[in-house]
Amino acid sequence: MRRISKRPLELLDATQAALHLLLSGDADLWRIVGVSLSVTLRAMLIAMPLGISVGYLLASARFPGRRPLIVVTQGLLASPTVVVGLILYLLLSRQGVFGQLHLLFTQTAMVIGQVLIALPALIAFSLSAIQGADPRARETAVALGASVPRIAWTMLVEVRFALMVAVCNAFGRVISEIGCSLMVGGNIAGVTRNMPTAIALETSKGDFAQGIALGIVLLVVALSINSAFAFFQGESRR
Amino acid sequence: MSLLTVTALSKSFGERRLLSIDTLALDSGQSYVLTGENGSGKSTLLRILAGLEAPDRGCGRYGERPFDWHPYPGWLRRQIIYVHQHPYLFHTSVAENIAYGLRARGVDRGERERLVAAAIAWARLAHLLGTPPQKLSGGERQRVALARAWVLAPQVLLLDEPTANLDAESRLQTIDLLRGFVAAQTTAVIACHDRDVIELPDMQRLQVVDRQIRLAPEPRCG
Repeated sequence: MRRISKRPLELLDATQAALHLLLSGDADLWRIVGVSLSVTLRAMLIAMPLGISVGYLLASARFPGRRPLIVVTQGLLASPTVVVGLILYLLLSRQGVFGQLHLLFTQTAMVIGQVLIALPALIAFSLSAIQGADPRARETAVALGASVPRIAWTMLVEVRFALMVAVCNAFGRVISEIGCSLMVGGNIAGVTRNMPTAIALETSKGDFAQGIALGIVLLVVALSINSAFAFFQGESRR
Repeated sequence: MSLLTVTALSKSFGERRLLSIDTLALDSGQSYVLTGENGSGKSTLLRILAGLEAPDRGCGRYGERPFDWHPYPGWLRRQIIYVHQHPYLFHTSVAENIAYGLRARGVDRGERERLVAAAIAWARLAHLLGTPPQKLSGGERQRVALARAWVLAPQVLLLDEPTANLDAESRLQTIDLLRGFVAAQTTAVIACHDRDVIELPDMQRLQVVDRQIRLAPEPRCG
């Protein structure tokens, strides 16, 4: 890869080189994008059903420990990803409880980390989405003879736009997080190097072109997610 | 022979005793209009009968079968349909709203489509099929909700103020549909202040007075 001087005046050159990398279909670059998307999509596929179900249960059922669970979930929303990474690292490292699984520095470890980061957001936002639904919606489903699973499905469909807001929020958190991916993934080229870890690494090495190129991709992904977020938020308030 | 009987039913909200009913017996196929002042407990009584709220005390009998509210039995939900004063329509389509209860009962697709088409014709909703439910007027929503109940051919129908807050035209259309329900073999209880509903033929008048249910000899309008 072409080395580019660190002098700010040549940032323009770096940006040009970045665009060239993007448009020429540079294999290393797109592999990094692929790792990011693959890990995040897998994490979301696991976290979505789990988080939305827990959110639904917290919103609909009354059981002992419900209040503390909600408070803990909302607290976890603020947990730094690097701390999630640290805890997961300790669990997965050779001396850790799950050391035998040899998962440290694999994509699986990154997926687990992102699931843990996505869950509090998914739970908290789907909880508030379902609590915000019209109480007559549930009563109507009940009065028309729906079974418990059908009532649940009906409620989720009724608040679908608010749930999409929850999903966008969680996706935005995990696609751009660096702390956990760096700690449990290890930033191994071609395996666990994703966009945020690569940007940090390339920039610290002085290779701005790749950093800028990945930054552009990450920005486009984040902006699309946020546009979708804004759209769904508008729809859910209609 | 009464179809639905509740005895020794009471319901309080906080300190306030709202209902204290010795016996309420609804005859099979009979329609009732339920009057009483605002806040007298009409809605609460309907919601209790529909199993949306539990009374503090009380027992019920449906035909020969006793039941209570802890929990309200599933088989009874299949017999009794309750319609809100301002009905909630699911954010799907008019046809899907009407089909909802049929799906919940596992009615197969062909039969479901046939019944939904019949309900749409009954409530004269054909011109609204392409309109999103959220864009319908109050009267149109009420008619969709009535069609959604009608299609299930319930044994007992509980309606909360079906003509309140409707414009003149919608009100007449709704009363027309109610006439159909009253004439059918459905046991209906309609909480209402509307004189035109109260004076529908063969309507028995019930009144909530002082937490009790009375048979009202004269039409009373709130």
